Amino acid sequence: MSQEERAQAFVSAFRALQTEVEKVIVGHGEIIAHVLTGMFAGGHVLLEGVPGLGKTLLVKTLAEGLELSFSRIQFTPDLMPSDIVGTNIIVEDADGRKHFQFQHGPIFAHILLADEINRATPKTQSALLEGMQEGAVTVGGASRPLPAPFFVLATQNPIEMEGTYPLPEAQLDRFLFKLRVRYPAIEELNAIIDRTTRSRQVGIERVMSGPTVLGFRELVREVPIASHVRDFASTIVMATHPQWELAPDVTRRYVRYGASPRGAQALVLGAKVRALAEGRYNVSIEDIKALAAPALRHRLILNFEGEAEGVDTDILVGQVVESVEAASVERREPFLQ
Amino acid sequence: MTPPAPITGLVQRVTRQIRLRRAEHAGVRGAFWGAVGAALVLVFKGPLGAASIGSAVALVAVGVLAGLAWGLLRRVDARDAAHVADRAFALDDRVATVLEWAGRPDRSPLVDALVADTLARVEALAPRRIVRRVLPREARWLPVPVLTALALSLAPPVPMPTGGLPDFLPSRGEDEREERSASTLLEERTRALAKQPLKRAMLEERDFAQRAGAGGATSPGDLTAIFKDTSLSGHRPDFNSFLKKGDERLKLLEHVDRLPDLQSDFTSTSYKMVFRKSKALTSGLRPDQITPQKLKELLEEMERLGRKGGTWGGDAAEGMEALEGGQTDKALEAMQKALDKMRAMDAAQRSGKGLRGGRERDRGARGRDAGRGGGEGYDEQDFGDADGLLPGRGRSPMPKGEATARLRATPYDVGVEGESRQGRKDGYDTNLTGRAGSMGSRLQYLGVIGQYRKQMEDAITREQVPREYHDQIKDYFQALDER
Repeated sequence: MSQEERAQAFVSAFRALQTEVEKVIVGHGEIIAHVLTGMFAGGHVLLEGVPGLGKTLLVKTLAEGLELSFSRIQFTPDLMPSDIVGTNIIVEDADGRKHFQFQHGPIFAHILLADEINRATPKTQSALLEGMQEGAVTVGGASRPLPAPFFVLATQNPIEMEGTYPLPEAQLDRFLFKLRVRYPAIEELNAIIDRTTRSRQVGIERVMSGPTVLGFRELVREVPIASHVRDFASTIVMATHPQWELAPDVTRRYVRYGASPRGAQALVLGAKVRALAEGRYNVSIEDIKALAAPALRHRLILNFEGEAEGVDTDILVGQVVESVEAASVERREPFLQ
Repeated sequence: MTPPAPITGLVQRVTRQIRLRRAEHAGVRGAFWGAVGAALVLVFKGPLGAASIGSAVALVAVGVLAGLAWGLLRRVDARDAAHVADRAFALDDRVATVLEWAGRPDRSPLVDALVADTLARVEALAPRRIVRRVLPREARWLPVPVLTALALSLAPPVPMPTGGLPDFLPSRGEDEREERSASTLLEERTRALAKQPLKRAMLEERDFAQRAGAGGATSPGDLTAIFKDTSLSGHRPDFNSFLKKGDERLKLLEHVDRLPDLQSDFTSTSYKMVFRKSKALTSGLRPDQITPQKLKELLEEMERLGRKGGTWGGDAAEGMEALEGGQTDKALEAMQKALDKMRAMDAAQRSGKGLRGGRERDRGARGRDAGRGGGEGYDEQDFGDADGLLPGRGRSPMPKGEATARLRATPYDVGVEGESRQGRKDGYDTNLTGRAGSMGSRLQYLGVIGQYRKQMEDAITREQVPREYHDQIKDYFQALDER
């Protein structure tokens, strides 16, 4: 299969999977696209939204559309790390001899739904860290690889913060994207009512297998990116750092710590998936702009002023992108604008 | 692999357009400045003669040509041209990516697909001008120098100013001046200036005593009558002596230590003065908001006061060093230490003015003796020996007297007065009276409130204080600042 055919296959598969998910999930087209983008980029996605917006349903539907194993962990304060990664138990063989046998935890699945991840203690949350970053977990001194592709979709509720354990920055940084699930519009709400209050259930077709997903992940990384587009992405990430000499005023005023290099990686990888999904073979400035908020919003740590004034990180990222773009236009000659 | 010809052709077309627009832009600028130069040349049409017209025309032509040449010959980066093409034809950075990636050895197989896709899109494009015309600011003002130059070329030559310097010589009399003609005057003025060059600055002491016989009758309007010092009346005004006197006064001002300390007199004590300044400097501000310049001035003043006989000079110097190193926090700490020492000395001086009782003086003397012999410092002497202050355990044979009277007798008397406050919740407002109410605590309050503010900021940023409480907390600390 030629590269062009592979790219066309990716476009078809991406659209087919999106269509299958949209059979169940009403609205949230952008959220679905970003979840798929995260999956094909090889990252993990954190979904944030109030209860009842369909976050869990979205992940379950996605798992149904893929020929991949799926497990769900409902995070609670008394959940232990061994409840996630598994533990060694004593078993007796036919001869009556006892020995330890590793009992796999729910993390050993292709798609893992970590529901309400901020309700578990930091110790339990950190049990996911190694798996998310390395694709393997260490239990009893032995490293055990997780099945590939391994894709964590976590949800959290931005309200009812009492009794929760907000994810530490180190763990937030492990998520490629953080997506905000908004409340649906009235037309979408009507469609949700129509779809979910009838007796007929919608069937989801499986459109992709695990090896196919892995193949597409390889293909995505081959998408070329021009140096000026890459510079644009790295400048955006640098502009989130208040210590940077060219940082915009809004960053200096409201941000304590900016995005890490993982933010730049997430931005470029996501942009490559978006470009390919749109049938393009190169990354454009528009791809970077479209994915700046999902890739960077959870990587900015606001300072006291930002917290006290309730600054929205989405607006902040938007202003940073605008300022970087304006600065690059200003630097050019008027004929080159 | 090189980019296909249609793609490079598109880039070259855009490059040419950019060059043309750049040449237009620079040509207009050159025309403007050339016309300005031409107008200036034509102002001197009289002295220059007919050559001025030719020079003016040449200047305009040179300006235009230089601008055009600069615009046409300046290199246009192919990547810049590719960006322009991408934006103008909505090619989503395809052309720029192809130019960059087509020749790279590490290109991925997808680059070939990209080249083919871009080629198809470029071939479908209709050629058109995509680089917009941008006129410089000078274009708006170009008619002004051009019309000025035209007017100057048609008008008669501008008369050039002639003549010498105005006459500063003292008057010789009305009658003589009336008899002279203009030419004679000019001749004489020139001669007089040549014969009597300007007097050089003289720094000798002046004698202000009146000369005998110099106070004769004066005529109305005679300036010599104004000066009592008649020795000057016959000469030109001697400004050098005024300058010299001024210099001496300025030198006096440099010796600030010898000047009377008016500020100290006004504020009664140096400590109060410095304390007020430090309070004005630091009130309600975080260390990063304090002006280093003002802090430096304050520390310098403290150091100067320390040199006059204080123990805080070292702290002030340490603060200045920290400030020079950019460590405002340390500088503030050093300033606080110096202030504490000033306050201690101020308190000691006040105690020395008869406020300390005889027993305390004895105790102080004991403390000083002990400090010499056993290593106890000055600070310990106020607290003394604990046994001596406890009732029934004192070693002193002298009776201590009634408690209230004793309390009033000490310089450290403290009282509390208050009044009840009616409201939604009944309260009781209290104030410290006595010396303790007017010293010490106010300074610490500023320091403590700063610490609390920092802790509050940390708590809000790190510990996820619920957002609904943020405004309330901010308002509370704002209210503290206002107090």
